[in-house]
This record gives sequence, C-alpha cells and structure tokens, in this order.
Amino acid sequence: MADVTADPAQSKRLFPRERIIQWAPLLVLFVLLLLFPFFEWLEDFREAKDHIYLLDSRFFSIRNAARIAMSSAPALMVAVGVTFIIIMGSIDLSMEGTVSVCAVIFAFAFIAWGGTILSWAWLAIPVAMLVGAAMGFVNGIVHVKLKIPSFMASLAMGFVGTGLALLLTGGDRIRVEDPIFRSLLTERWFNFPVMCYVALAFLLIAWFIQSRTTLGRNFYAVGGGEELAHASGLNVERVRIMGFTLAGVFFAVGALLAVGRIGIAETATGNNFMFVSITAVVVGGTALWGGIGGVWNTLVGVLIVNVINNGMVVIGLPGWVQDGTLGLLVIAAVVMSTDRQSVSFVK
Amino acid sequence: MSFIKKFIEQEKVNRRDLLLASAYGLGGVAATGLLGTGMARAAIADPTVAWSYRNRTNPYWNEIVGGGEAFVESLGKPKDFLTHLINEGSSEKSLADVKALLSKTNGDLALAIDTNDAPNARPVVEACAAAGAYVSTLWNKTDDLHPWDFGDNYVSHMSWSDEGPAEQTARILLEAIGGKGGVVHLGGIASNNPAIERLNGLKNALKNYPDVELLDAQPADWDTQKAAQVMAGFITRYGDEIKGVHCANDTIGYGVLEALRAEGMDIPIVTYDGNPQAVELVAQERILATVFTNPHWGGGITAALAYHAATGAFKPSDEPHAHREFYGPTIFVTPQDAKEFKANYLDNVPTYDWSDHWGPSNGQIKYQ
Repeated sequence: MADVTADPAQSKRLFPRERIIQWAPLLVLFVLLLLFPFFEWLEDFREAKDHIYLLDSRFFSIRNAARIAMSSAPALMVAVGVTFIIIMGSIDLSMEGTVSVCAVIFAFAFIAWGGTILSWAWLAIPVAMLVGAAMGFVNGIVHVKLKIPSFMASLAMGFVGTGLALLLTGGDRIRVEDPIFRSLLTERWFNFPVMCYVALAFLLIAWFIQSRTTLGRNFYAVGGGEELAHASGLNVERVRIMGFTLAGVFFAVGALLAVGRIGIAETATGNNFMFVSITAVVVGGTALWGGIGGVWNTLVGVLIVNVINNGMVVIGLPGWVQDGTLGLLVIAAVVMSTDRQSVSFVK
Repeated sequence: MSFIKKFIEQEKVNRRDLLLASAYGLGGVAATGLLGTGMARAAIADPTVAWSYRNRTNPYWNEIVGGGEAFVESLGKPKDFLTHLINEGSSEKSLADVKALLSKTNGDLALAIDTNDAPNARPVVEACAAAGAYVSTLWNKTDDLHPWDFGDNYVSHMSWSDEGPAEQTARILLEAIGGKGGVVHLGGIASNNPAIERLNGLKNALKNYPDVELLDAQPADWDTQKAAQVMAGFITRYGDEIKGVHCANDTIGYGVLEALRAEGMDIPIVTYDGNPQAVELVAQERILATVFTNPHWGGGITAALAYHAATGAFKPSDEPHAHREFYGPTIFVTPQDAKEFKANYLDNVPTYDWSDHWGPSNGQIKYQ
C-alpha cells in the first residue's frame, strides 16, 4: 500500500526544518564568531594594512575569548536559573531583586565573619545561596498558592528584593576585597579566570538536574502539557515551587560571581540581568511556552548575547546601534526557533 | 431615585451661590489681583520639609538626601521629619507627588526638588507658587525659567557646569601620559546632560594635545558592570594603544579598574563625583583625579533655602540674581591632597552652617 501520509521528498531532505531549528542558535553563534573578524579585516583592508583573516583578528583571540567568558559567567548562572522556569512555561522576572539581595547579604556576612575565605566568612557563600532559595521559594508560593500569574508574582518579588537590598545598604556600596575571593577574577587557569570554571561547574550541575533527576523531567512534563501532567498524578504545584526555589539558588550563584567580578555589592548589582538573561534564554532556542530547550541552549544564548556586546564594541559600532541590534536579534531568534504553522494564535 | 433628586437640588443651590458670589466677588477679585499671588501668605511657622528625587540606590543621590536629613536634624527635628518624594525617574510621578503633598499640607511646604527633567520644572514651580509653597530646584530646569519671575515662592536654583572641571581632569590625564598616545572615554547615559558635558570637557582639553588621539567613546550608563564590559571590549580593539582612560563618573571608574586588573594592565584613569571609595583610590594613586561636587552640602542647602524662605528668615526677592541661580561647588581631588580632603570632607562630614546659603557656591549661572 502506498504511503499517503507523507511526501517522500520531504522525509528524505538532508536538513528537515526541525533539525535546522534545533541547531540554529549554534549556527548563529558560529556566524557571529566569523562575522566580527570579517569586519575587522575589512577595516584594515580599507586602510591597506596587512591583515590575515582570523589569524590577525583581535576579536578572534584567546585573550578576548576570556573577556567574553568573564562577562558571560554571572549572566549564565542567572539565565540557567530562569531556563528551568521557562521550560515549565512560566516566567521569572525576580532576578534583579534576588541578585541584589543575595549580593548584599553575602557581602555583609562575608565582612562580618572575618572578611577572608580562610576564616568563617566562607559560610557567607552557602548563606547567600540559602537566601536565594528562600526568595525563590516565596516567589513560588506567591505564584502557586495565591494563583498570581508567574510574571506578575515574580516581577513584584523582584521589586521587593530591590527594595530590601536598598533597605539593607541604605544606598551604600560594600566592597569585598579578600584577595582569595577576588581570585575568581584575578587567577587564571589556561588563560581563563577561575570564575569561568565555577560557572562551568554549575552549568554541569544544572545539566545533571535537567536530564538525570525526576525534578528535571517534571519541568518538561509541566511545560509540555500541564493538564496531562496533572492528570497523570504529578503534583504540579510542588514542581513549580521547587522550580522557583532552584532558580533562586542559581540567581544567588550569579550574584556571587558578579560580586567576584567587580568586588562591589550594591543595590545596582542586579541591574540589567533581566534583559540579558531572558534574551539569552530565548535566543538560545528555549521556547517561551515551555517544554522545549534546556541549559545548553542557554549557554549558546548567553554566548551569542555577549559575543554581540563585545563584538560591537570591538568593531566600533556606536552605542545606540548596539541596543537596536540586540533587540532585532531577539525578534530574529524567536522567528527562527518558532514553527509558526503549529501555533494558531499568540497571546 | 432619591439621590438624583438630592443631586439636582444641590446643583440648584450651587448655581444660586455661584451667581451671588460672582456678583459680589467680582470687585474683590480685582482687588486681590493687585496684591499678587505671592502675598496671600506671610511666613509659614512650621512648614513641612520635603526632598523630591530619583531614588537612593545611586550613591550620589544618597549623599544629596543625606544632606537634606542633616539639615532637618540641625533644626532639632528627627531625621524622618524630612518627607521623601521618590520619582523613580518619572517626571509624571514627580509632578503628581508634589501636587498631592501640596494639597495635603495646604501649601505649608518647603520643597527641595530635582524635577527629573528640565521641562518638568515649570509645572512643579507653578503648582508650588499657586499654593503659596516655597520651592528650590537642583540640576534640572529650562533656560527660560527663572526664580525671580515668581516673586518669593521660587526661591533658588542650583546646578553644576561639568564641562570645565571635566576638561581639567582630562588635562591631568593627558599630562600623565606624556601628551601622546591614545585615550578612551566611557560615558554616562548618552542623553544625560552631565554625560554630554563631561565628554565635551575631554574634547576641549584634547584641542591642546594634537598628539593624543581619542580612540573611542562609548556610553557605560553610569554602571560599574557595564563599564567593565565596555572596557574589556576597548582592550580587545585597541590593546596597548590605550594609554589613559577618561571616565564620566566614579562608578564607571570602578568597572574600568576591575577590567584593567583582570588583564594585569595599569594605566592612568580619571573619574568624576568624588565618592568616598573613589577618593580612597585617588589616595592609593589608582585613580589620578576626581571632582567632588559636595552633594551633601548641595542637598542640605537646597532644603535650607526653601525652608528659610518659607519661615521668612530671608526674603528671596531682596537677594541679587546671583543668589537665586548659582553653580554648586567643585573641588579637585588629586593624590597630593586626597588624604587631607578625605579627613576634611568624608571621615567627618563637616557640620555646615545651613544659614550660610551661598558661601561655598560658585557664581551665577551663565547661559550660552
């Protein structure tokens, strides 16, 4: 009997649409990595300077890769946290407040307990992560128990966090100058600062949670079809609350790396993390309606955003063009990663 | 339907009152018009003192409001006697909050305010003058708005011109790099007036140094983390060509220092604002120079001017124009004097005489 369900030519295509969508973010990253050196080459070519494409590129160098990795590390942690939430089909906008509170409490505790990792001050690190977890937990409770949409509940919690951080600091900045803690930035292994390896370690933990634990599987179940998951006996509310708590822990790690990078904790530590992390998750190919994507997509997304930010300065684009370009990129990324035929309406 | 009946009856009474009142009042209105609006009220014995500003997250505004608090404490009142109107960067909220406070206090108000943007100054000042309150503005107002056009109610305006001081720090930087090589500038939010003036200051200084090239100038939005990232980009693009960095303020400077530290680079930088941390870094010679604008004094004296005008301690309209629109103080901090400066201004915040309204000020505002 003839196969009437599919067009044979369709199934034999080398690159079916799904596969292109799946790999599009990585492709975009590679294109960008080749594009910025091209602009550099073009600039030198116009001025008739010797420049061998890629080899003479300042952008395409280990030193610059380390710089991009450094600016990506805190944002990656925050973005990984929010990835879990977006996989569930919810959204968490509390990161700026949570990061600020964690950073400030960490700095206070760190200084109060000795001011160097070699004393009891190291306890400030787990304390900061507990604070992040607690804020995420409250966030989840407010969302689930009071039945407030996640974007509203988390946005409100974010404001609470920013206010709390301001209350704690009174607008001052706290300096963390312990040379051992600051070795996150100053110490390099194989050309990359220690903070990059810390971020990588937590990325692997996140990947483990996502792929090897029941909780991780349940995130996908809730995001793929909440009704179905509920009907199968899954305690959806519990999964959601645990998701927000987990996200809070990763926000706290992001806060620690942010403090490690500039040595200052303040209410403004959380600034810009919302835009960068949500952009990175979406550009990386994690669908905003849930069920698709994961932490590796987020890694690619964070790298894309930071490669663009770095590359635009390197090729000398003016500031306003940079913001606009990033905005256009988000639209392009969502367009590419969405199968519009399967989505009947957008709300 | 009794409420409708009641409403109609009320309206009838209202209309009758209105007719009677207008016949009676026409002559009276003409008479009060001669006296002027500002004369409606003499001194206010105990005005509410309020500061309206963006928020306290920014160390600069935190200092400003700290000065306001020091002033109310000097009156023998608790710190929280000062009413805070926080606009979070919204001119609409700024104006709405002022109007709400005016009706709450019935105009018994001494207001110090940064109206968030220049066009918002006029409606704020007009609302205060109409209610008989006293207002002093800081930073933002349009060039055509002057305190002396409002009798006594618009007490004063203080601002700073950053172009000159930024030019001087730029000269310190350019001298330090031996007058040749490349420099980069990291600016504030591109549309902010101080950001524009501070970059112009650098450009003015560069005119005398033909061998120095301004390699690049990018906005870092007054933000430490963004500054670190932009500086990392500059290092990639220009590498060792960068001999010095001109930063639009201290918070940007901190980010630049960390970006340089990550690369093991040590080149001179100059900043602006004179925050305590920056002054310490100047003393350690990690920052070459910063400019202190004494926000503590600025915040205190702006509140003091409005308060003293409200209580009748002085009459603004008797003062010369230079006492109504003036520049705030600017003090240079360099490694030679950083320690002394820190001891005088930061370690012990000086107790100012808040009735000396113009001592540290810097001359009448000039318009171009």
